[in-house]
Amino acid sequence: MTQRYPAGDVPVIELKNVNKHYGDLHVLKDISLSVRKGEVVVIIGPSGSGKSTLCRTINRLETIDSGQILIEGVPLPEEGRRLAELRSRIGMVFQSFNLFAHMSVLDNMILAPVSVLKKSRREAREEAMRLLERVGVADQAKKLPAQLSGGQQQRAAIARALAMRPRAMLFDEPTSALDPEMIGEVLNVITELAQEGMTMVIVTHEMNFARRVSDRVIFMDGGMIVEENTPEAFFSHPSSQRAVDFLQSIRTPEAL
Amino acid sequence: MNAPSIRDRLYEPPGPKTRRRIAVFTVIALLGLGFLLYLVVRQFERQGQLQPRYWDFFLKWSTWRYLGAGLLSTLKAALTAAVIAIGAGFLLMRGKLNKNPVVRWVSVALIEFTRGVPTLLLIYFFFLVVPRMGVSLGAFWRITLPCAISASGIIAEAFRAGVNAVPRGQTEAALSLGLSNLRTFYQVVFPQAIRFVIPSLISELVIVLKDTTFAYVVSYADLMQNAKVLITSHDSLVSVYLVVAVIYILINYGLNKLSDRMARGGARTAAER
Repeated sequence: MTQRYPAGDVPVIELKNVNKHYGDLHVLKDISLSVRKGEVVVIIGPSGSGKSTLCRTINRLETIDSGQILIEGVPLPEEGRRLAELRSRIGMVFQSFNLFAHMSVLDNMILAPVSVLKKSRREAREEAMRLLERVGVADQAKKLPAQLSGGQQQRAAIARALAMRPRAMLFDEPTSALDPEMIGEVLNVITELAQEGMTMVIVTHEMNFARRVSDRVIFMDGGMIVEENTPEAFFSHPSSQRAVDFLQSIRTPEAL
Repeated sequence: MNAPSIRDRLYEPPGPKTRRRIAVFTVIALLGLGFLLYLVVRQFERQGQLQPRYWDFFLKWSTWRYLGAGLLSTLKAALTAAVIAIGAGFLLMRGKLNKNPVVRWVSVALIEFTRGVPTLLLIYFFFLVVPRMGVSLGAFWRITLPCAISASGIIAEAFRAGVNAVPRGQTEAALSLGLSNLRTFYQVVFPQAIRFVIPSLISELVIVLKDTTFAYVVSYADLMQNAKVLITSHDSLVSVYLVVAVIYILINYGLNKLSDRMARGGARTAAER
């Protein structure tokens, strides 16, 4: 794919004063955030804090009420071809994998590259196999998603997003639906991506992973960004009381 | 080998006492059924319905050819009606799920109308009213179109239920890959919905097939109509209706079996998720 817009110093993802309501509930309060090229931003916070919603607004799976979202400096369109085009440049990985249940893993991989990027089937298939190889599920390519373990499905889902050669990846709690023994294999794939310089926004509850992989931690509570910090600073001496409480609450059970 | 039936899933396996009770009731029920059957046959016998003259024309090839021709017409009408109904039902479903409120409102109105109006009334409409509007339809269309219309609303709802049964995440994943709304629907959502829908489509086909028996109203020579002719020419109401009923039952039983098979296939793929 050719570079369609100058990258330069323009943030890959930029949110300006984004607000969203569900009825009376103010779920995103004046969120401003920018993610530079190659940066890994981890969003953490208690459930209901709006972190998933925030992640989903970035490719408009959730609409916003006010504010602005820019992808590589271009405002996110509200509908149509241009929205689809911008979405195709942002990979998304879901909590529930969402592989297309009626097609093989390989067909999952080539659907969008063929119909959106207009690649030839052969080219798409080669690329798909390369990516499946990389995430370690190439031997499952001919199977239906239901025949794979959760960890394999999620790795295939990551590969499917990568097949679009995205400029950035969004991860919406990618390991929350996995059995404990499969979390590691998925986190390893994400860590490798981070090391290769992929721009990423990750919503997660895996604190050790967050600390290891992120360049920046964003702590959300009650629909607001409460704290934005480096991982070292955030996890060793958070500056906000709410972050202190949150970290305390998730650490206590382990200490017992 | 056999997949567990719904009964197996709902009830625990019977113990020794229950098994004994089941055996006793089975014997009693079989005896009762046998007695009922005996009563029916005896009554027919007394009324002379078992006399050879009511039955021997079934040994003639021409009788079966005549019934066969009727059956063929029935199947032709039912199949045509089903194809039209599925097409119309699909369009109505797309209409009901449309973002445009006018399209949605019109589709909902049409669906409710076709679901609410009895088939026979529609048949009278095409038989008596449409000709007065200057449109002349053959007997075939006078039975086929009403049957199709009356099934289309139900089929639209079946399609809609199937589409709604596809998890929302499938749509979100397709959109996030940059697929258009149209592609998302036709390449991701609908192929999955169709598996949920096939069993109810086949059940609906059974209803369409039964609706075509109204063909006598418009003098379309379907199985039922030909049966009536046989009844008049041989003066043998009971025997002909019995045979025709068996034919209808066999066809619909076959269709229902097919639907069960597909439902099991569909359930398996859904459960694998």
